Parts: sequence; C-alpha cells; structure tokens
Amino acid sequence: MNILEARKIYKSYGNKFNKQEVLSGIDLTIEAGEFVSIMGPSGSGKTTLLNVLSSIDHVSSGSIRIADAEMTQMKDQQLAEFRKKQLGFVFQDYNLLDTLTVKENILLPLSISKTPKKEAFERFQQLAEDMGIYELRDKYPNELSGGQKQRTSAVRAFIHEPSLIFADEPTGALDSKSASDLLNKLQDFNQKRKATIVMVTHDPVAASYSRHVIFIKDGQIYTQLNKGALERKMFFEDIMKTQGVLGGVKHEH
Amino acid sequence: MNINQLVFRNLKKNLKNYYLYVFALVFSVALYFSFVTLQYSPALDDVKGSIKGGASIKAASVLLIAIVGIFLLYANSIFIKRRGKEIGLLQLIGMTKQKIAKLLNAENFILYVFSMAVGIIAGFIGSKLMLMVLFKVTGVNAIANLHFSGMALLQTLIVFFIIYGLIMLRNRRFISKQTILSLFRTTSSTEQRVKKISVFEIIIGVFGIVLISSGYYISSQLFSGSYTSMLELFSAMIYILASVIIGTFLFYKGSVSFIANIVRKRKNGYLAIHEVLSLSSIMFRLKSNALLLTIITTVSALAIGLLSLSYISYYSAEKTAEQQIPSHFVMGSEKEANTFARALSDKHIAYEKKQFKVIQADFDAKKIMDSELESLKKDPGVLTLSVISEKNAPHIHVENNEVILSGYSDLLKKFMPIQSSGDVKLLIKQPLDLKVIDMKKDYLISYRFTAGGMPVAVVSQNVFEQLDQNKDPKLQLENNQYIAINVNDEKHIEQANDIFTSLKMGDDSMSQLASAQQQKQTMGLMMFVLGFLGLSFLVTSGCILYFKQMNESEEEQSSYTILRKLGFTEKDLLKGIRLKQLFNFGIPLIIGLLHSYFAIQSGWFLFGGELWTPMLIVMSIYTVLYSIFGFLSVQYYKKVIKESL
Repeated sequence: MNILEARKIYKSYGNKFNKQEVLSGIDLTIEAGEFVSIMGPSGSGKTTLLNVLSSIDHVSSGSIRIADAEMTQMKDQQLAEFRKKQLGFVFQDYNLLDTLTVKENILLPLSISKTPKKEAFERFQQLAEDMGIYELRDKYPNELSGGQKQRTSAVRAFIHEPSLIFADEPTGALDSKSASDLLNKLQDFNQKRKATIVMVTHDPVAASYSRHVIFIKDGQIYTQLNKGALERKMFFEDIMKTQGVLGGVKHEH
Repeated sequence: MNINQLVFRNLKKNLKNYYLYVFALVFSVALYFSFVTLQYSPALDDVKGSIKGGASIKAASVLLIAIVGIFLLYANSIFIKRRGKEIGLLQLIGMTKQKIAKLLNAENFILYVFSMAVGIIAGFIGSKLMLMVLFKVTGVNAIANLHFSGMALLQTLIVFFIIYGLIMLRNRRFISKQTILSLFRTTSSTEQRVKKISVFEIIIGVFGIVLISSGYYISSQLFSGSYTSMLELFSAMIYILASVIIGTFLFYKGSVSFIANIVRKRKNGYLAIHEVLSLSSIMFRLKSNALLLTIITTVSALAIGLLSLSYISYYSAEKTAEQQIPSHFVMGSEKEANTFARALSDKHIAYEKKQFKVIQADFDAKKIMDSELESLKKDPGVLTLSVISEKNAPHIHVENNEVILSGYSDLLKKFMPIQSSGDVKLLIKQPLDLKVIDMKKDYLISYRFTAGGMPVAVVSQNVFEQLDQNKDPKLQLENNQYIAINVNDEKHIEQANDIFTSLKMGDDSMSQLASAQQQKQTMGLMMFVLGFLGLSFLVTSGCILYFKQMNESEEEQSSYTILRKLGFTEKDLLKGIRLKQLFNFGIPLIIGLLHSYFAIQSGWFLFGGELWTPMLIVMSIYTVLYSIFGFLSVQYYKKVIKESL
C-alpha cells in the first residue's frame, strides 16, 4: 500500500522577475512500512522537499497524497489537523520546548488528540524505555545531552502512532556514538512497529540504515538505491559511490 | 550607504516596532508640558489663591519627571539589548564604538525631537482640556483659555534634554562595555535558565503569601480599636507597609512559580497546549521580573488607593458639609444673623431662622463606653457633651429620665465606641441618673459645638432647665446660642450663599454650600493631580510590561514554530497566549487592586461616608486602561505566531 504519493511537485521562491526553482517535477512513492532516506548535495532541495511533503510548506504545483488524502487542496486549519494526527517529526535541532520536562514534551501530541491519561502513560513508558530515556522523564532539555534530546524528540514523533514520520537531519548535531544509537532505534521502530520513516540526510552512514535511498540533484530525482538483501556496509559503499558520481561533494559541511 | 541613510533606515524599521514607545514618549512630553503650562497659567490663579493649587501642581510635575525619566531610561535599556546583534555586526565590519554610539544617539535624537515637537503641540492643546477638567472637578466657574508660556516650554525642553543626556550616557556605557562576542549573546544571556523548583523557593513562596496576608489582617484591625496609642498605631502602619511590599516581592519571586508548579505536578506531565504556554511561562518569567513587578504593583496600589480616597472625600463633600453644618447657614453671633437676615429680606428670599441654647455638660458614661481610653482622656468614663432640649430636636422624643444621643461621627465611633443604650449620670451638683435609650444618625448642631464629631445629648425640657441652672460655667462656650438660617426654597440657596460670601462674616458663621464647595475644590485638585500622575504611571508601566512581552514573544518564537510544526493551529496557540497574558497582566493588576482595597478599607471612613461607588469607579477605570496593554500584547503575539511558520 502506498502511504505517500507525490506527483510532479514544483516549488519556486521569489517573484516572477526573479524566480528560483527549487523543486522541478519530482515524482515520489513511499510504501507503508518503508524507511527511506533522501540525499543530495547542499542546495539540492532536500529540505524543501521534506517541508512540502510534511505540509509545513506549500507546493507551487503538483499533487501530494498522504494516506489517501490530497494535501495540496487542504486549508491551513485542515493541514494542522492532519499533521497533528498523521505525522511525526524529528528535527536536527531537536525542537524541544525548553520550559517543559522530557515527559511533558513527549506527551504534548497526545494532549490534543484527547487520549485517555492511562493509555498515554502506558505508551509513554513503553516507548521511552525502548529509547532508554524513561529515567530522564523529569529532566528539562537543558540538562540533557544532544543524543538524549534527539531520542526524546524521536519518542515524541512516535507517541501518537502517526502513519508517517519525517526526520530532517536527525543526526546532524550528534556525535557518532549517539548518532548510531539513534539510527539503530529508528531502524528498530521501523521493523518492529512498522513505522514509515522518511529521513533527509547528507550523511551516507545515516542513509545506510534505511532500506531505500533517493538521491536528488537540482530539484529533480537523480537516482534511487535499494538495500535489498545487502549488508549495511555494502549498502554504505553503494551510497558513497553514487554520491561521488553525483557531484563530487562527498564531504560538504 | 552612508551613516545618515543607516540612521533613517533604522528609524523607519524601529518605528514600526516601537510605536508604543513613541506614543509613551509623546504622551509623557504632552502631559509634562501641559502640567507645567498649568503651573504658569494665569487662569489657575483662581484655584491657586484659595487652595495652594500651584504648589501641588508643581510637586506633581516633579514626580512626573521621576516617573517619565525612569520609564525612558528603562525602556531604552530594553531596546538597546534587543539591538545587541546589530551593534555587534557593525563592530564586526569595522565601525568604531564611538561611531556606533554616535549612530545610536543620532537615532534617539531624531526620535526625541520628533516626539517632543508632537508632544508639545499635543500638550498645548491638551492643557486647555486639562484646565477644563480641573475647573470642572474643583467647581470653579471660569472659562479655560489657551495660554502659551515660554517658561513652560523652556522647562520642558530642559527636563527632556537632561533625560536624553542620561540615555546617551547609558548607551555609551553599554556599548563600551561590550565585546563583539558578548554582543551576539546579549539576548540569550538575559534569558534565565530553566531550573527545578527548589525547597528554598517553596519556603520563599509560602513566606510571601503569609507576609501579605498578615499585612492585610493587621490593616483590617488598624482602626478597630485594637491599637489605641499613637505609637502602636504607627508601628502597625509601618509593619503593614513593610510586610505587604516584601510579601509582594517574595510572591513574585516564589509564590507564583510555587503555585504554578503545584498545578503542573498534578497534571503528571500531561499538559494541554494552553497550559504549556501559560503555566510554564509564568513559572519561569515572572520570577525574573520580580523587582519590576513589585514596584509596578506597589506604586499602582498607592495610586489607586490615594485616588480612591480623594474621590471618596470628594464624593462625600456634601454629606460631610451637612454633618458639620446641619443648616444652610449657621451664624456665629446674633449681630451677624441679623445682618444676614436683613440682606436676605432685601433680595426677597424667604428664610426661616432657628435659635436655641446649647449647654455643655459632663456625663459619667462608664457603663456605655468600652474601656481602654486612657490615651484619649485623662478621666476615663467622663464625657463632655453638648446638651439640647428635645423641643429643638425634630423627630426626637424623650421622657424625663431618658436621653438620646444623636449625630456621632463614624470616625470617632471607631476610636471611641459608645453603646446605644445604658445608664449614664449627668454630673451636676446633684448628679442625675439618666438612661440612654437610642442613638440617632441626625446631626442637629454645627461642629463648633460638638468637638468635631461627638454626639449631642437630647434631654427633656425639664432636665434641660435643671441643667441650665446648675451648669458648670467653666465648660460653657463663649457663645452658647445655635443660630441657624434655612432658606425655604432650595432654588435660592446659591443666591443666598453669594450674599453670605459678600458679607464677609467671622469664622464662626458658616455656609453649608460654601463648605461643600471648599472641600470639593481641595479634593478636586487632589484628584486631578493624582489622577494624571496615576495615568502617566499607568501608561508608562503598561508600556514596560508590553515591551517585556514583546521580547518574550520573540524569544519564544522558536517554540511556536515547533508547536505549529507538530500540528497546533494558530488558534490553539492564541488560546494559550490569551491565558498567559491574563496571568501576566492579571496577577500584578489583581495584587495591586487587592493592596489598594485593603489600604482603602482600613481607613476610608476618615475621608468620607461613601466607600463602594467611588472605589469601584476608580478601580474599574484602572482595570480597563490596564487591560488595553494586555490586549495590545496579545495582538503582538498574534503577529509573532503568524510569522512563526
């Protein structure tokens, strides 16, 4: 079953005299239960793609369907409602509220869906224990390490059981140990809970955890790689090779 | 782009953000200028002559300088911190600190000159309005004329340029103390780190509430008779003042976050969006503004309290005059009474003259008085009262062994409670046993006889005659005749009053109307001055709270972005913001109103007879004006939230 279908999406900024086209006709299909990475050099439009797919930004033209709902036709109010129920987010800079504790941050998405307290606490305990942050539940974000913050953010993305989770450079600010911890957990979630994850990254190691990598360049899909039965290491090498061909910008940032 | 262009660009951009600052600046200049104009205005001489209007307006203008000066300096320090990044950037591209200071000063200068020009024009026009208000509240019948005073202009210019100089110095100091790196961090360093509530804070919180409540409790007991000596009364007042002010500070420092924390703990981590925005914010933010909020609360409580009290006495002017002078006119001597009566007849004003004797006598009143009056009187239980015959007291009837007390002022009643029935002894050669059967509210004779509020003893004609023969001559007044003249037709009172005034009689002859007008004039001027001082304080403190909220909303913008990405709508967020502003503006407002309520409650009867109407009017005007700033800040938040995604 396709959870996300994007057809011919265009996105441009600026006015008609000075137009900058960022996405030029991207077609994309993501099936339920997939773990997809989007890669590409700086300025290739990967974050813009994630933003329009996740309804934070509007497309200039084209159609996006998530779980059989046409996103481009929705009003802001409906979009917010949709994000609230169907989508989960993990961002590079964690996006946790400083004034709330770990537990409060995580339970936030549940408070709008009016989930009963008991169920909310059970879900919280389970997910937080899986991610290894249950002990930290009464701490404030500024008392946590980057990895802990990102895991908190991940639990928040999963807690309301969304049909699709978007991760924008989730490992961008983490050291390698925390990064692999997080990616392992994401992989776990993907396999055990059948969560669909779309991740934007420029890090080939991070991408190698996913099952499917889409490369974009200059606003268009350049190529796609499938992990298939490959080992992660082999897949990583494939990705490196493709990236090399893509533009020789292996180590931007 | 040269430096001049930079100045103008900055100004244009800043005006959009700081329109309220410009407004407050214009308002301050206008208010100050019109006050000083009034001070120099010849039209004010009417008011000045009788009640030292000039002095109070002068004092007010000095206070106004203090309020406006502190406000402008404070607002400036808020703004310069906001521009830290920009200053850092200018330094980074190689501008010297002197040049940056010059740039900022030039900007401020233009803003200042512009605001002052507008403010002075507005103040000039406003001064006529103010004069009209002043004449209205003081009951002076004069036409308010525009009058331009060069002195006032000069004084305004000097005062505001001194303030400008101070601001300039501060900016220069701020800039010179900064390094490029620290400038980039100014906004974040003022932000307070989020911490857990400590036990110490809980203790502070509880202690703050205890202090405030104890202050309130003592204030309610202040005039109830528990504190009889002057020293006790004075120390009680000092205690109230100290405990309430310190308590307020601790309340903001600890109690608010302590209470918010309890509410939050109960939610066990499951917070709704409006709780996220309101609770967590007041928990951490109010604390860091504790000193500012304490000052705002205390001064506004003071303003509301004083304004209410002067309004109470203004409102009760007629009633007070009636109590002091129960007839339209009370004459000091037979001769004056005749002169006045003749003048009235000449003008064909019908009147009624009443004249009777008032005798002073000692009463042994131990049985109807509460004890503990050592401090007020040497011989406890002996009261010296004016005595009149029932024949001269309408609607009162007593038997031979009875006495009715009438017209006891509320004020004295608080200090010297007397029961309305019981046995007393009339202390003459052969003491007479009498029985007090009732206490009436009517005032029967003028305050010349009643020592400013003691009741009058009404006895039967028999007893009165008996007393007359045996009275103690040492106690009697020089003139023991009460001579009252009442005008038959109410319409002629004013005319009669004019005649009375033109006759220029001695101090013992009094007019009820003139006395009421006199009080209205004094209190009207008081209200006028306090009202405008209160208004300027309200506007400036409201602005400061608004600026603080402006900063806060921008600091929190990233949170709104997160929340909106998570799927909360603008409406959801706004609901939380409204609640938050309700707390942010509501808590200081309610505390201020409570403080002033208890202050007024403890001593209002010293000022007049009507508590609720005047107090509620003052309080609701204050609340409405204050809410405007809350409303404006919600609008600003709306903008920030809208832009956050």
